[in-house]
Amino acid sequence: MVHEDYKEMLAPQALDALDPTDARAFEDHLSGCAECRAEVADWRDTASLLAHMATPAAPSDALRARILSAAKPTTERSARVVQMPPRRSSNLWPALLKIAAAVAFVALIGGVLWLWRRDVTSRREIARLTREVATQQRELARSRDALAHQRDLVALLSSANAKKMELTGTAAAQKARGTFVFDQQTGSAMLMTDALPAAPAGMAYELWFIPKGHLPMAGKVFSVDASGRATVSDLMPPEAREKAVIAITLEPKHGSAQPTGAIYLSSPS
Amino acid sequence: MARGDEAALAACYDRYRLILFGLIVRILNDRAEAEDVLQETFLQVWRRANDFDENRGRAFTWLVTIARSRALDRLRSHGSRERIAAEAAAEPRDVMGDASAETLRSEEAVVVRRALIELPEEQQRALLLAYFEGLTQTEIATRLGIPLGTVKTRVRSGMIRLRELLRDQFPGRR
Repeated sequence: MVHEDYKEMLAPQALDALDPTDARAFEDHLSGCAECRAEVADWRDTASLLAHMATPAAPSDALRARILSAAKPTTERSARVVQMPPRRSSNLWPALLKIAAAVAFVALIGGVLWLWRRDVTSRREIARLTREVATQQRELARSRDALAHQRDLVALLSSANAKKMELTGTAAAQKARGTFVFDQQTGSAMLMTDALPAAPAGMAYELWFIPKGHLPMAGKVFSVDASGRATVSDLMPPEAREKAVIAITLEPKHGSAQPTGAIYLSSPS
Repeated sequence: MARGDEAALAACYDRYRLILFGLIVRILNDRAEAEDVLQETFLQVWRRANDFDENRGRAFTWLVTIARSRALDRLRSHGSRERIAAEAAAEPRDVMGDASAETLRSEEAVVVRRALIELPEEQQRALLLAYFEGLTQTEIATRLGIPLGTVKTRVRSGMIRLRELLRDQFPGRR
């Protein structure tokens, strides 16, 4: 349909006399046609004047009162609605705010407790793991040391210049025994003990190299484990490499420049 | 009245009750039902007062459109079109009016009546069937036993002529 067709529909449309299909098509056209839209009200005014063709009639007097009283509740309702907000704002909102504040407070306490408990648990866990790591690191260090000693020992024993001396316990430690291995060329030495008594508090064992015709030369200060075992690496002074006595004495824990305590282990002289 | 003023509603009722009630009675042909519809009409006017824009249309058109639409809805919901159709057959009574009703008529009503009477009788008939019975053009054609095209021509010609006549009478009307 073209614009002219819709223009012809203006008059019947104002009377609502279009067939449903045409009425819908006209509505669609109207939404996009300003010219027709401008005319619709004018045609509707003309159609509405046809109401004057009806004979005026007076409704009952009661109807006037009925309509006005039916309209009244609406005004009273709206008046009440206008009054409601202040009452709500003075009672309902503070109550809601109190509830919200209480909920927020409980949530806060709960959150703090949860964080604290989690923190305590975490700190405990961290401490446990730290201890575990430290233990493992100690064990690892021990293993590394043991491995290093074994490597040193293997190197020493496989060396063509390696010499081995058996150490025997003195009167102070009759069950104690030891092995001393050294490289005559390099001076690399290793002491292994067994069944030495635990050193008293503040005391430690000290290794001595005693070359013939020389004063004892201080070696390492060491302690033993529960079985009286120790593995000690040291560097033998050149003077002691040809011929020397190896001895172990009990000394103050930081060692002495010259032996002061009893001899516990000694190589044959 | 847009401000929800009760006094304004009362004034509106007093001013338009005769024409609106006459319109509704004409459509429904039943005073008791017409009072119900008039009440519905004014309550809708009361609730929808804010929808009415004086700059965009006449208050008379707005009120009459609501009243007619509600009355026609009631008529259709009762399926009583046939009953009314019988009344419509005796239409000349309403077109001419009677002496007692004449005193209730406004000046505008008199002008409109004179204009309508100037139209050919078959055009009057088509417009009144559409307006008071809510018939579509196809329904009018069926009712009168004439081709649809003829009805369309009568409706259109009648409305155009009526608009011209009334434009002369109400120059201020948009």
